[in-house]
Amino acid sequence: MSRSLRVNPIACEAHGMCIELLPELITADPWGYPIIAPGPVPGHLLPLARRAVAACPTLALLLDQDN
Amino acid sequence: MQGRGNGEAGGAPEASGKHSMTGLTAPVLAVPAVASRLAAGGVAPGALVITSTTPLWYLTRATGLVALVLLTLNMAAGLLTSVRYERPAWPRFVTAGLHRNTALLALAFTGVHIVTTLTDSFVPIHVQDVFIPFISAYRPLWLGLGAIAFDLMLALAVTSLLRTTMSYWSWRLVHWGAYLCWPVAVLHGLGTGTDTRVRWVLGLTVACVVLIAVLIGWRLAYGWPSYAAARLVGALTLVLALIVGSAWLTAGPLRPGWAVRAGTPTHLVSGGGKTGSTR
Amino acid sequence: MSTARASRAGGAAGRRALPPPGLPRLIPPGGPLPLADHIGRYGPVPFRAAGLITEVERAGLTGRGGASFPAGRKMRTVAEAGHRARPLRGQGGAVVVANGAESEPASGKDRLLLSRAPHLVLDGIALAAEAVGATRGYLSLDESQDELALQLAAAISERERAGQNRVPVQIVGVPAGYVASQETAVISQLNGGAPKPTFTPPRPFEKGAHKRPTLVQNVETLAHVALIARFGAGWFRELGSGPGPAAGSALVTVSGAVTRPGVYEIALGMPIGALIRWAGGPSEPPQAILAGGYFGGWLPYQQALGVPVSDPGLRAAGAALGSGVLVLLPESACGLAETAWIAGFLATQSAGQCGPCVNGLPALAGLLEQLAFGQPDRRAFGWTQRLLTLVAGRGACHLPDGTAAFVTSALATFADEVRRHATAGPCSRVRRRPVLPAPGYAWGRRAS
Repeated sequence: MSRSLRVNPIACEAHGMCIELLPELITADPWGYPIIAPGPVPGHLLPLARRAVAACPTLALLLDQDN
Repeated sequence: MQGRGNGEAGGAPEASGKHSMTGLTAPVLAVPAVASRLAAGGVAPGALVITSTTPLWYLTRATGLVALVLLTLNMAAGLLTSVRYERPAWPRFVTAGLHRNTALLALAFTGVHIVTTLTDSFVPIHVQDVFIPFISAYRPLWLGLGAIAFDLMLALAVTSLLRTTMSYWSWRLVHWGAYLCWPVAVLHGLGTGTDTRVRWVLGLTVACVVLIAVLIGWRLAYGWPSYAAARLVGALTLVLALIVGSAWLTAGPLRPGWAVRAGTPTHLVSGGGKTGSTR
Repeated sequence: MSTARASRAGGAAGRRALPPPGLPRLIPPGGPLPLADHIGRYGPVPFRAAGLITEVERAGLTGRGGASFPAGRKMRTVAEAGHRARPLRGQGGAVVVANGAESEPASGKDRLLLSRAPHLVLDGIALAAEAVGATRGYLSLDESQDELALQLAAAISERERAGQNRVPVQIVGVPAGYVASQETAVISQLNGGAPKPTFTPPRPFEKGAHKRPTLVQNVETLAHVALIARFGAGWFRELGSGPGPAAGSALVTVSGAVTRPGVYEIALGMPIGALIRWAGGPSEPPQAILAGGYFGGWLPYQQALGVPVSDPGLRAAGAALGSGVLVLLPESACGLAETAWIAGFLATQSAGQCGPCVNGLPALAGLLEQLAFGQPDRRAFGWTQRLLTLVAGRGACHLPDGTAAFVTSALATFADEVRRHATAGPCSRVRRRPVLPAPGYAWGRRAS
């Protein structure tokens, strides 16, 4: 069961916590908004991904189940 | 706040300024008879307020002050989050982590502050006064503000813990209550606290207010000119609050006789001393 | 085909009409027909619930609102979601939204269809409502279309009296704005919110208007549904050049440097060249064709002539069908300047909700303006390419992707123009008044 990260672009207000907490998968565009690497989250990064999701002040980062 | 053996006969402000909170060491006071009063405890002739004899009272005041400082730091971290403060050595998640931790610490210290107040049976404060404002027998208005601040702190903490179960905007609406919670806590401290005229306590409180005022100003300026009207209203409110607050402070707690005016039960206030004025 | 039920309107009991041979199918000659004449021409509405969805699926009808999504599949998912969804405090049933707001500036087909064949669209709403189990319907219009709204309200009342509405249909005025007619934006408005796109999931077919499964279809699509219900999938596919997205007929708006601009009903798959001839041919020496509106793509004129007007055909050529918009760009215009003009317009159309769009589109427009009007700058082109990848797919709606696709196609089609501007600066044609419409938009800066 793999999971993927996705951002709700309307809720995102470029706080940048996810970019700081998960630089392996999330980088910043020129305006501070997250660019998420495509594909499922590698297993060893899942706990960090969960932490990044919890850290988002606007709950814009989502961890979806791939089906 | 009651002074321990605070025997300044005329209730002169300078004397109160020298009053020390650490009652375990002999405070240096203008009036020489203080030492004997300390040893005696209880009602001191000329004392302004009858003091509690238990260390609980010191704990209440200490934890209250620490809780205020922590709440200020918490508020500051929240404001820094909203202005997206960051430096190479200070990533934003540090601010976020501080915000969370100071919230828990502030709650813990507020909890102790409340428990010690309740346990100290000297003042007539009961458990319902902790949650329901303005019904206590002791300084109802000012203690009530503490109840309001505490209720708001609980609401803020609980909604934040359950953030993922509610809609973002419901959470956000409740979280704006922080702008009410913190000033109310400050007023509670200034109004209920018997140490308001102690110089370093006053200084610490003023420092907290200045810090938050500056950060709120920064928050209002960040992102200008979007929501211009709301920002201007916020700025106006801030300025008015500071003016009114300072005026109240100088005319209220900083003037002699505040304890009575604030609603300290008369049996806790002695009319002794030359002028019969109280702290 | 099942027997049509008797209509209570004017003595058309049990009589089936003959299907329209060839074209036109949707727009009857002459003005709009009153209900009785409408039923006389097309026959009574064959209300028959779930069987309709299968027929629409077999017909291969795709949405005519721009996305070309299979209409039958959409109806089926809404019907199934409706069965799964529990009634919400007594409010059961799905919702049908007929989207006639038509915010694509170069498109006029929906307005024309609604004014000339309102009952066909309303038939479609009623049929779709019955098929998906809807309990109410909405018809969205540009809010400035007062006359059309009145006309449609009258048509709805006429049908109400004759018992031809299956659900109450309410007309909704949508404010001007390119993204205001987007499916989730219309639903947001119906739910009392702003006419701005929302984040999906949940998609409208799961949870849309009033939290009910909602079918949002373009008004032309519903008009086709009304005909398919009467005359069948086989009849529908008699026109068109293939199955699915190339089946049936479609309304296209031809504009720009053609002799007879207007709305034409074509059989899908008709070559662009034939369509242009039908529209009287170019009125000036032609340069390129924009196909698919502002989320579509540019085709050099000569290469465009053989391209079939259908979504698969146009996509294969690097453009799209979109909502059936074709604009002919003359030689006297500068393709780069037109692209910069529209990129600027689209940047102002951002709903302002997503950072990459709010920031990226104005930056993109600025760079295009520089490419078109500014002095030679080699770096601008590279930055433009980077911006195109930065905005695509990072918004809640397709405004950033559509704009990126439009600009990418322009840079490819007008590559020579780009090179000339990069070495010699703006050409003289940049001062020409823009060919592409951009309502309410004015340049910030013109070539000096």
